[in-house]
Amino acid sequence: MALVKDREEHLAPGREAPMDPRRVTVDLDAMSTKDPAAAAMYEAAMEAADTPSGNDAIVEAAVETAVDFASETPGQRRARFERDAMQYVDQLYSAAMRMARNPSDAEDLVQEAYTKAFSAFHQYKPGTNLKAWLYRILTNTYINLYRKRQREPLQSNSDTIEDWQLARAESHSSTGLRSAEAEALDHLPDSDVKRALQSIPEEFRLAVYFADVEGFAYKEISDIMNTPIGTVMSRLHRGRKMLRDLLADYAADRGINAATEEKALATGAAESKKQEKRK
Amino acid sequence: MSCQGLGDCDDARMQRIYEYLDGALTREDIAEIKEHLDSCPECTEQYDLECVIRTVVKRSCTEAAPENLKNSILDKIHAMNTVDV
Repeated sequence: MALVKDREEHLAPGREAPMDPRRVTVDLDAMSTKDPAAAAMYEAAMEAADTPSGNDAIVEAAVETAVDFASETPGQRRARFERDAMQYVDQLYSAAMRMARNPSDAEDLVQEAYTKAFSAFHQYKPGTNLKAWLYRILTNTYINLYRKRQREPLQSNSDTIEDWQLARAESHSSTGLRSAEAEALDHLPDSDVKRALQSIPEEFRLAVYFADVEGFAYKEISDIMNTPIGTVMSRLHRGRKMLRDLLADYAADRGINAATEEKALATGAAESKKQEKRK
Repeated sequence: MSCQGLGDCDDARMQRIYEYLDGALTREDIAEIKEHLDSCPECTEQYDLECVIRTVVKRSCTEAAPENLKNSILDKIHAMNTVDV
């Protein structure tokens, strides 16, 4: 897990961080997140390649793998892509469903992202986090290609959202949530949860999705979305808050219904008991 | 009156809870928050709610790609492979 200590990047919630001028270029090669196990193996291989004294069998195997990356044929590269990248199809599809509005567009998006990833696979640095690299391509594909086609503005109407959010924050702060509501949240149907997630603006939605569903660290999300860590943190903060308020609303709606039903059932049970007694 | 053990307002408290759950804190911070949660039912309730939300979101958003998607991607990639990029 990434350790985020640079607190100066952490802005007050409710504020988007300004664009960091150091991060303006989009470079698929620049992924710095690492899968620790693969990275260790790759680094060990590189070290061993520098110092030929390493005669450990595992290290030698790793050296061979590392050498293969550099001299592999297109066929070998394709096989490596199929072996390493294709396992994430379901996950990328789930993410694409949070971006596109329907299954057919989500499929197109994933397919496009995979063909792009395959074309750029020689740029992928073995040992770095492949899943995050694929997510970054998926996100870029969505922003550059798919959304252009939809001709939607890049930023959602943030002003409206802020007003809406302020109103919600006030209406909830007085009562707060109860543990009974935690229970109710837990019983929300998937469709409600998806609807809630879908109705928060996309930059917040995607940050929340990457963190809470995929478990990416702030630094990884910052690479995937090509935004500074401070922005990721403020998007997460606001996105989670919006999600929470929406879910609390849905749960409250269903809670009222459930309570009414329960009461009806209880009354019914009491009635039948009475009838039994009479017998 | 809400507890200020994790921050001087609700936003600050939630931010600490998010960072705690995100694994974005130092060991010392983690120990401090854990200690506070152990003794504060109010903050624990907020913490529990956030855990529930994450579980529910994860559960709801795990979808399997359509059967044919993987195959059509593989077909495309195989077609591309003949043309060296």
